[in-house]
Amino acid sequence: MSTNKKKIIGIVAFVLVIAAMVTAFFVFRDKPVKGSKSVVISVVDADAKTTVYELKTDASFLKQAMEEAKGLTFSGTESQYGTMVDTVNGIRADYNKDKAYWSFYVNDEYCANGIETQVVNDGDKFKIVYTKAE
Amino acid sequence: MKLVAKDITIIAMMIAIIEVCKIVLANVPNIELTSFFIIIFTLYMGKRILVVIPAFILIEGLMFGFSIWWVMYLYVWPILVLLTYIFRKMKSAVSFSILSGVFGLMFGFLCSWVYIFLDIKNGTSMAFAWWISGIPWDIVHGIGNFFIMLVLYHPITHVMKKLRMEKM
Repeated sequence: MSTNKKKIIGIVAFVLVIAAMVTAFFVFRDKPVKGSKSVVISVVDADAKTTVYELKTDASFLKQAMEEAKGLTFSGTESQYGTMVDTVNGIRADYNKDKAYWSFYVNDEYCANGIETQVVNDGDKFKIVYTKAE
Repeated sequence: MKLVAKDITIIAMMIAIIEVCKIVLANVPNIELTSFFIIIFTLYMGKRILVVIPAFILIEGLMFGFSIWWVMYLYVWPILVLLTYIFRKMKSAVSFSILSGVFGLMFGFLCSWVYIFLDIKNGTSMAFAWWISGIPWDIVHGIGNFFIMLVLYHPITHVMKKLRMEKM
């Protein structure tokens, strides 16, 4: 085999090693796990009927997790404190009319934050309860 | 191996060249002249390289601390000397560029072996993950080594041949 041919084979082999390494990198590198947090969102409506949504999410805050929960719908009014949720799954809690509101719990503790600032941790259990003021 | 004053001086100069180049290029990640000079010195400086490598590794440890990378150095650079010795009959710049380039590409793989011995149970997967995460830098290392050898091989070997004729 001529020297030039050997050199060309050598360079081609060198390029192939690089290509194999690039492939190995993209196949085996650490990838972020999609949906790394398991959370449960339970909605207790006006008739005390509970609907449970279990989801895997990467959401940092509750609002995004609620948006990702399949079948769960909600809306509210924007205020300086964030979104004031007044309707969940089509049920509207009107404080002025019924003295009713949607209360939020995390792991059975009353949520001290709005849905935009309530942090979501792995294993959290959220409860959204239709509540009537006494 | 009997060393006379001239040998010791040459060995000191070889180490100094490697160390100075290493420090000068310290801010450019994975672009280094160490591989280049170890290959050239193995080809042209005979058995003296057997003193240069342990001394170089020892100095590196003394300068930067005897950490895990130092254990990697203990076998990685001797492997380069061994490979160069095996392929010493090659004549062209391209051939040595490929040798140096492949060594650069495999640097992370070779270094990862330490992790296999560090943890008997999970060492292999640890070594594999460590190697994979460093592949982009290994590619920089390999391509850098290839072009450094390609550019510097002729001018430096020309000088080395001249020195050899002067029976250095």
